[in-house]
Amino acid sequence: MKRDITLRVNGREENLHIDDADTLLDALRDGLKLWSVREGCGVGACGTCTVLMDGKPVSSCFLLAVRARGHEITTLEGLGDGHVLHSIQQAFVEERALQCAYCTPGFVLSVKALLDENPEPSDDEIREYLSGNLCRCAGYADILRAVRSAQEKRRRAQTA
Amino acid sequence: MTLGKDKTIGDKGHSMTIRSFDLLQPRSLQEAVELLHKHGDDSRAIAGGTTLVILMKQRALHYSYLVDLHSIPGLADIKTESDGVRIGALATHRLVETSPLIRQAFPAVSRAFGHIGNVRVRQTASVGGNLAHADYRLDPPPALLALNAEVSVFGLQGARTVPIKKFFQGMYETALGPGEILVDVKIPFTPENSRAVYLRYTALAANDWPCLGVAAFLARQNGRCKELRVALGGVAATPVLIGGLEFANDQTLDPGVINRLLELVDQQISPFSDLRGSEWYKRRMARLFVQKALKQLNNGTA
Repeated sequence: MKRDITLRVNGREENLHIDDADTLLDALRDGLKLWSVREGCGVGACGTCTVLMDGKPVSSCFLLAVRARGHEITTLEGLGDGHVLHSIQQAFVEERALQCAYCTPGFVLSVKALLDENPEPSDDEIREYLSGNLCRCAGYADILRAVRSAQEKRRRAQTA
Repeated sequence: MTLGKDKTIGDKGHSMTIRSFDLLQPRSLQEAVELLHKHGDDSRAIAGGTTLVILMKQRALHYSYLVDLHSIPGLADIKTESDGVRIGALATHRLVETSPLIRQAFPAVSRAFGHIGNVRVRQTASVGGNLAHADYRLDPPPALLALNAEVSVFGLQGARTVPIKKFFQGMYETALGPGEILVDVKIPFTPENSRAVYLRYTALAANDWPCLGVAAFLARQNGRCKELRVALGGVAATPVLIGGLEFANDQTLDPGVINRLLELVDQQISPFSDLRGSEWYKRRMARLFVQKALKQLNNGTA
């Protein structure tokens, strides 16, 4: 069934004409042209399609778009302001925690959710939380350093 | 803007699309079961959708009507009652995993839900969907079996309860009748001098399906076993609650008792060989992990 829905994405109300069978990924990518949202495995295992729903990470590849009604959706485009990178993005750049960068939007959003939920995670907690985001260039050691760096930037910003 | 569902697969730049269906959004359980009754085999209840949407994407399944349980209020709560905790069918795995109440009263349940998939899957997947899917490898069923949980279901005939040991009837088959909806699962409080543990073993990647999972519950009296329950997942077409453990009552869990238990486990499981291990291997791992679980219960480290 086709229907008109309103989704709240990156702080804006977006009107979309969707099919019930459309996933949130379909709506964000094909509907709103938010190209940071990428399909990888298509079954929720790889994390490249990660978006935040009310601040919590979800796989947009298997979440029906209709289900996102009434929730606050954040994609990578909602983090920076278009000119200045978000501190987590900055940390990924500084620690060179990306190579091909296909997985990076998903990682950055997962790290945001992790640090919002648990501002002082242990190494094991970071690994566990990010275990559902795959980096096939295997930049995991750099990504772990980027999480620590992002945590530090965040702490400084809060105490400044 | 139209997303062009009428176009052929691949037109959207990514590989998999779902065939069109109608998402029906009932406001009550009664309305939901009427919709399921009306549309019969062409309909299915959908909760978190982590399994159903993926299978429909892969075109392994198709239903013309999905009955969305999210539009029904009150199905996602975790509530304390006088004799136990009731977990609503739409409570997410993550909610159960992180609930202070569940962590305190049933840490084995919190762990079992916390092992599944990854944080995103747990954020979406529902308790009811997990149980109703009845995959033989899932982590929560053994923990809920060892804790004597009870499932409430609702259908056109009204509400009824099913002890969880009668719920799993075959591979992907449950006691749910046509059009029946799983409403909640209730875990009874455990006696003071008792403990439960859930251990899972993955033979491949850490967030893969488990090779097997073992849950064990031990209540003690005067340093002896008052009641012992052991349940395993991944080692038969359904999760298995090991029968005949009454022999351990009034005994200490010494090597003789544990050996007798391991014999019963070996007799009652029927693992099949797959990429997570051969039958021989799974039988060995089942022994090992039942021993580990018992050791934790005995040491009080669970």
